[in-house]
Amino acid sequence: MDARTFARASEEYAARLYTVAYRLLGNRADAEDAVQRALLKAFEARESYTPRWALSTWLYRVLTNVCIDELRRRRRVPPEPLPGGRTATRVERTDLARALGTVPREARVLLALHYVNGLSYRELAAIRGISVNTVKSQLARGKAILKQALEE
Amino acid sequence: MDRIDGMLEEFFAPEAPRALASRVLRALRAERAGLETLVGKFRIEASERGVVRLHPGRGFHGPSAQARAHAERAGRELHEYFAGHRTFFTVPVDLAGAGEFQARVLAEALRIPFGEVDSYAALARRVGHPRAARAVGNALGANPVPVIVPCHRIIRGDGTWGHYAFGGEMKTQLLRLERSTPAIIGCTSTRIVCRRGCAHEQRVREANRVVFASVEDAASVGYRPCRVCRPSSAA
Repeated sequence: MDARTFARASEEYAARLYTVAYRLLGNRADAEDAVQRALLKAFEARESYTPRWALSTWLYRVLTNVCIDELRRRRRVPPEPLPGGRTATRVERTDLARALGTVPREARVLLALHYVNGLSYRELAAIRGISVNTVKSQLARGKAILKQALEE
Repeated sequence: MDRIDGMLEEFFAPEAPRALASRVLRALRAERAGLETLVGKFRIEASERGVVRLHPGRGFHGPSAQARAHAERAGRELHEYFAGHRTFFTVPVDLAGAGEFQARVLAEALRIPFGEVDSYAALARRVGHPRAARAVGNALGANPVPVIVPCHRIIRGDGTWGHYAFGGEMKTQLLRLERSTPAIIGCTSTRIVCRRGCAHEQRVREANRVVFASVEDAASVGYRPCRVCRPSSAA
């Protein structure tokens, strides 16, 4: 992949990568930094990219790797309250952000990837290096924990 | 689709700041440190028990073949560390030349995990002298084996760097390197997690690497820890 193709892909995916990073890391500065580091890593490793993968899947893999390592480093930072959306009330979003904090990390990462871009189970499995069945069980478990936390 | 699905979709709707992509691409062009060249600028001295001293200069030195082997191994591991391929050192360190207090401070500094930082005051508390933050700073300042004993991971309580023997710029570069190097790597084909730098990890192909935040996280999705580098004891 040449530098121009890479730049075009970065522009195309930056917003979605940013949203995943923001939802995982909880603040804008870290999210932007994570996207930057992920694209740098992807750019350096662009020779190892094979068209066997969708470009987006590969970029999500690199980004998720960066975000998860960031989470390792600061194990106890609560996500900041998030601004209100189009229809949901501020309270609902804050509740959801808090409830997501109770979901185990791997399941939370899968939820973010699944809902930001509607990635399929197969894509999620490729991004995290796990089986499709594990993806399904992790998502179901994550949602069950979410539901319980929201009802409390 | 139930209510939770709807809430999650709404919650995860993309909202990127304007001009993010062009800002990121500009920053990409500016970046590139190149720490790998540093390793040729150290003189590494070792005893038969391990590395004794690392300071500006050249070459690997020791009184015996075994000592020189320690020094050369330290050189190899440092090279991998600076290239972002290693997050821990296996070469032994010989702190026999340090005083009792300094040895305790350095041993405590060795326990700070890769990529994390701690304050002088916290280190002082952990060696049992909570009011001795300054003495801890002096003990670290005279660290005979910098980088391998990670005194660069200790910063001031207010977040500023404090003194570093090789200069503040190098401390910044080391901390930046550690921030951008993942520590726990899973191999998607074997479903085994290793510490970055383990001989097994170094053989994993780029396309087969996934990062985990902890060994427990990895276990929750079916990965087991490597029996050689034993990542659970590290993270």
